[in-house]
Amino acid sequence: MLDSLKHFARESWLLVVASVLCGLLLAATNAALGPRIEVNKALKLTSLAGGLLPAAQAFAPLSSPVEVKGLGGETESAAVFRATTDDQTVGWVFKVVGSGFADKIELVVAADASFSKLVGYDVVSSSETPGFGDQIKDAYYRNQFTGAPVGQLSLVGLGAAKEQDIDSTIVAISGATISSTAVVQAMNHYLPQLKDQLQQKGLIGHGNNP
Amino acid sequence: MATTPDGQNVYAEAVATGLWREIPVFRMLLGTCPTLAVTAAIKPALTMGLCVIFVLVCSNIMVSLMRKGLRPHVRILLFTLTIATFVTIADLFLRAYQPVMSEALGPYVPLIIVNCVIIWRAEARASNSGVLLSIVDGLAMGVGFTIALCVLATIREVLGTGCLFEIPVLPKAFPAWAAMGMPVGAFLTFGLVLGFISYVSRKRS
Amino acid sequence: MDLLYVLLTGFISVVLINNLVFTKFLGICPYIGVSGRIDMAFGMGLAVTFVMTLSGTLTWMIDHWLLMPLNLEVARYVAFIMVIAAAVQLVEMYLKKFFPPLYESFGIFLPLITTNCAILGLCLFLVVWGTSTLIEAVVLSFGGGIGFTIAICIMAGIRENMQMVDVPESLRGAPITLITAGLLALAFMGFAGII
Repeated sequence: MLDSLKHFARESWLLVVASVLCGLLLAATNAALGPRIEVNKALKLTSLAGGLLPAAQAFAPLSSPVEVKGLGGETESAAVFRATTDDQTVGWVFKVVGSGFADKIELVVAADASFSKLVGYDVVSSSETPGFGDQIKDAYYRNQFTGAPVGQLSLVGLGAAKEQDIDSTIVAISGATISSTAVVQAMNHYLPQLKDQLQQKGLIGHGNNP
Repeated sequence: MATTPDGQNVYAEAVATGLWREIPVFRMLLGTCPTLAVTAAIKPALTMGLCVIFVLVCSNIMVSLMRKGLRPHVRILLFTLTIATFVTIADLFLRAYQPVMSEALGPYVPLIIVNCVIIWRAEARASNSGVLLSIVDGLAMGVGFTIALCVLATIREVLGTGCLFEIPVLPKAFPAWAAMGMPVGAFLTFGLVLGFISYVSRKRS
Repeated sequence: MDLLYVLLTGFISVVLINNLVFTKFLGICPYIGVSGRIDMAFGMGLAVTFVMTLSGTLTWMIDHWLLMPLNLEVARYVAFIMVIAAAVQLVEMYLKKFFPPLYESFGIFLPLITTNCAILGLCLFLVVWGTSTLIEAVVLSFGGGIGFTIAICIMAGIRENMQMVDVPESLRGAPITLITAGLLALAFMGFAGII
């Protein structure tokens, strides 16, 4: 019994020592870099948001969670930030998820202070086809959403947009129907819900004309 | 200075092996998974190369220090443990100081753990050589790997987007080969470069 | 019904649309090495599927039931690779004892699979994809293995035929295999957007 224990110890002492050493190394590195990584994670959303709302000085997350229904019907907690300058609300920033051609498309969207018009969006992550669906990242498509009303947006082909609905009509990217649809669908799905939730919380006024 | 049986300086030998004779990706066809994934542009390729250098050197040092106590049963386990630890450390550093690159590289940084290059060097060199030689070997192999990655990345980025380091280098009239950024381009470029190297070596010998 | 839909689309997604070999570049080393003959390729594919399903499930369980609750995510990679190595060892011993003919047919492949980046890659992708239920993890891991098997068998079929073709000397072996893989990746791109 003692013999086999000794044999075991002789064979594996290095493994035990190495495990302890590695564990200490990992713990030390994690302790040293952990805070910075957390900060980076929080900054990710707000740095893109800063590009959309350059006037904003700070982005504060909401104190109570906003519950919305995702695209598949499941309830999820939406990350909504209030953009402020000198404590005045200058806009709202939030993340929406659409289902694109290849995979999920994550967007960070900015709306104005009264949540009645969109300021624009930026793509957080997407795996769309380069040269086609990837154009949702280009200014040509993104600019169409600036000033679009927070309501139902409709997607049309090139040349089919009617003059009177020009604000809420988005022209699809030629050759990238699914990716274009994904962005519009994500907006149409999340925006009304978020507006409703914010109105319920009393953070924005009612009776805004879309 | 230590010399190999045929009289060459051991350190120079290690450098030559890592940088040309047994260069990881091209000659030895090891570590191909990250090669194809990160070489769409030069920045990710360089970042991956630097991570691999870090992990190689550190793991070589640690294995070399442990080499006297290695038992046959726990060898591979020890190598794996060491490599996994240093890869985690490299990943943490990347996430702390280069979050954008870390997102772009995604799960390919932890895949360095199963990158055959590192276990190969631990087995072939670090487990039977002194610390200094292991460091030199690790550096040489790591730099060789990085060079291989950058060669592929340059081709793919220049042809795929007309840019290098995101600075345009080709005239606007050049139609960017979007396929180069996709898996197709990765496989084709790698295959053709390997074919080219094989052609050059045969011409030489 | 909803769950079945999610599982089915997830399975098809991992097998065809996000095929591990052609879109995620996982498992290239054995892919190039073992795709010479269809029977060897199929054997490798089955072994990979078996180990992948087992490891994917185990690592998901350890990640969700041990590491995340205890805030030990920093030990994730170490834990994953250890579990994979242990799983492969156990599978080998179990097969050797109880299913010798199966063990014989798997042959050399089982030990090779530990350093197969496809296994660790899939376990990590399960984390990246935010797999939230155990059954989802099982189905996606199984799908990953099936996708790999399909990819390697197609390649083996093509390579068997290529033996009768006059390939230029410089391109023989790995280069032409990679070029073929590139064309296959191009073909598989056609699956994008079917769900």
